[in-house]
Amino acid sequence: MGKNPLEQENAKRGAAILQQSCAYCHGKNADGGPEAPNLIRSLLVRHDKSGDLIGPVIQEGRPDRGMPAIRLPADQAADVVAYLHALLSLSDSAGDSGPSSNYSLKLLLTGNAEQGKAFFNGKGGCTACHSPQGDLAHVAQKYPPINLQARFLYPVGTPALATITLPTGEVIKGSLVHLDAFSVSITGQDGWYRSFILSGGPASRIKVRVEDPIEKHRQLITQYSNAELHDVFAYLETLQ
Amino acid sequence: MRLLFLLLLTAGNLCAQGLDPQKLLHAPVDTWPTYNGDYTGRRYSSLDLINRSNVHGLTLAWAFQTHSVSGKSTPLEVNGILYFSVPDHVWGVDAATGRQVWHFSRPSQGDHLGSRGVGMYKDRLFFGTPDAHVICLDARNGKQLWDKVIADVTVGYYISGAPLVIGGQVIVGTSGDSADVPHFVLSLDPAEGKINWRWDAVPKPGEPGSETWPDSDSMSHGGGSIWGAPTYDPELNLIYLGTGNPHPTLAGSVRKGDDLFTCSIVAVHADTGKLAWYFQPSPHDTHDWDAIETPVLIDGNFRGARRKMLLQASRNGYFFVLDRETGKDLLTAPFVKTDWASHIDESGRPVPAPEKEPQPDGVLVQANMDGATNWMAPSFDPQTGLFYVNAQTAASLWYLVLNEDHKPDGHQGGTLSDFWSSSQLKALDYETGKTVWQRDLGKGHSFSGVLTTAGHLLFSGDTSGNLLALDPANGDLLWHVYAGGTLNSSPMTYQIGGRQYLITPVDSVVYAWTLPSAQ
Repeated sequence: MGKNPLEQENAKRGAAILQQSCAYCHGKNADGGPEAPNLIRSLLVRHDKSGDLIGPVIQEGRPDRGMPAIRLPADQAADVVAYLHALLSLSDSAGDSGPSSNYSLKLLLTGNAEQGKAFFNGKGGCTACHSPQGDLAHVAQKYPPINLQARFLYPVGTPALATITLPTGEVIKGSLVHLDAFSVSITGQDGWYRSFILSGGPASRIKVRVEDPIEKHRQLITQYSNAELHDVFAYLETLQ
Repeated sequence: MRLLFLLLLTAGNLCAQGLDPQKLLHAPVDTWPTYNGDYTGRRYSSLDLINRSNVHGLTLAWAFQTHSVSGKSTPLEVNGILYFSVPDHVWGVDAATGRQVWHFSRPSQGDHLGSRGVGMYKDRLFFGTPDAHVICLDARNGKQLWDKVIADVTVGYYISGAPLVIGGQVIVGTSGDSADVPHFVLSLDPAEGKINWRWDAVPKPGEPGSETWPDSDSMSHGGGSIWGAPTYDPELNLIYLGTGNPHPTLAGSVRKGDDLFTCSIVAVHADTGKLAWYFQPSPHDTHDWDAIETPVLIDGNFRGARRKMLLQASRNGYFFVLDRETGKDLLTAPFVKTDWASHIDESGRPVPAPEKEPQPDGVLVQANMDGATNWMAPSFDPQTGLFYVNAQTAASLWYLVLNEDHKPDGHQGGTLSDFWSSSQLKALDYETGKTVWQRDLGKGHSFSGVLTTAGHLLFSGDTSGNLLALDPANGDLLWHVYAGGTLNSSPMTYQIGGRQYLITPVDSVVYAWTLPSAQ
């Protein structure tokens, strides 16, 4: 994803001007009010090129529709135009890149931390690998809340371990790089890449065992009730 | 032998000509003249030169480098020439040699997500563009004959689907879901692109279906994209197509009701564009699970009675069998494990569980936004009587996102954290919806479609990019190759000069596979 278009300097200035001069009728998000249209859905705004359509409306108003002339200085009108185009671009790409990292903790914190702790220590079986004093110490400080919620459910990034047994009986271990029906590849303990063909002839007698630390999370994710999930999250948020 | 081959080839070239639309009324034998190969959408070829006993010898005939984005279109093959597209580009390529005949290029603004292919009428080709034009080319040389704007790109309309040609009509629908707009289907005349009729996926206030929306404002932003290629029954003269999701995509609270005709399978009269019937796989969708997956048409027995049926494995995880004369549901059965629906109602629709709609604190759903399957083609093999689909299981956490005024934020109104997914090729019994066999396709998902042939073969790909030939009766592996990328499209096949070719677009390269020549 590119840079947030609202962070451009002219768009930031335009946002301030819009709050002052336009928001009273068009809403502070430019998404319309009882008497004035949503500017993000406006065809005129969408057909505008560098202010050629929006500019005249700002300066001269639309008296027939009850919009007064705003008469902004040209540079300020240009900033408002830049802000509106940034809003369009953001609106059209919204939701494509997952939740924003500053998603509100207050919205997420609907669970019961005590019950989450009980799940963690009991039914969830989490203590088999994790400890609030060990690997999870201060975990709530390490990640923004929205990321912590995703990570405890499915902590990607830890490589799986592969144990490969050749037809000769030789055993080779390494971290898994790729596995499909036809080949397996690993980075060995010596740091070198190796691959093995799995299909056809003696190759089909190669055995591959994969220990993936994420597998328990994958199983658990199909078992959580919605309440349990939010309880565990509330508990993890106490690990400040 | 060589002389004979040359003669056949020369004869083929001399006869090179357009596509008589009458030919489309009969299932094609050695050609592939529409996106799905024929009007039924079965993606079954009656060719059998490549078959279960010799497919292990399948080898590369040629490769065509598009130097472009990953190809999602299924080529047409008519009289020795392949026609295929990516956004802004169309090629004519010699189907026997892989040499370029012509290349049409037209840079445009708009969404370049994908172009599923072209349609053909006599010596003309039709395709949609990222800026929502329909363009007609001379199939002989790729020269543009006309260019018609059918929707406004600045509000997010574009065209991804391959046009469907029926008699003297070019059927094309609008795509896009970035800017909250209602979608529609047009019938254009091939000569100049004049509009014969228009069908709107979302009703106007007062029209049938409008009672399923809270007000005229929610309706006007309705959605219902036409992403896919329709199918057609010449006897009933009905066009079958699926429609996309309603808007805002994940925020259902501002559009309470079923939101017709989004996420629906509809039948429209080919001559008028009037709605004959509809069936809605996902009433009031809040997960972006459009119902545009191919409506596959088969005739056969269903629990003892002879029926004209429509089969769809829908993105919401349910497999539907409809009576395609009436739209009545004959079977609704999940083909993957999912948990968004509370029950199936008496009309056969899964009913969404309100607690599985996106929530501000996140709700876990056993599926992701890509859904249980997607636009890639399924296949029905009349020899096995089985329906094949590339299916995904997944889990993800869905958020409803509202702004300070408690209104949905943007056209999505939400977002999600996507966790894991895995893919399986599934063979379904259409009378029960039960999985007869399945093959693991790996972690993650792919957009590999499926082809079956009279050679007792099924072609598809896995999530690691391996191209596969399987036995459609039991899923046994018969051939595989890794071609350096992913099959993000659906395979097709044709026969020229006594040789059968299999086409697999793999990222930017189109590969043609065949058996070694007799020499």
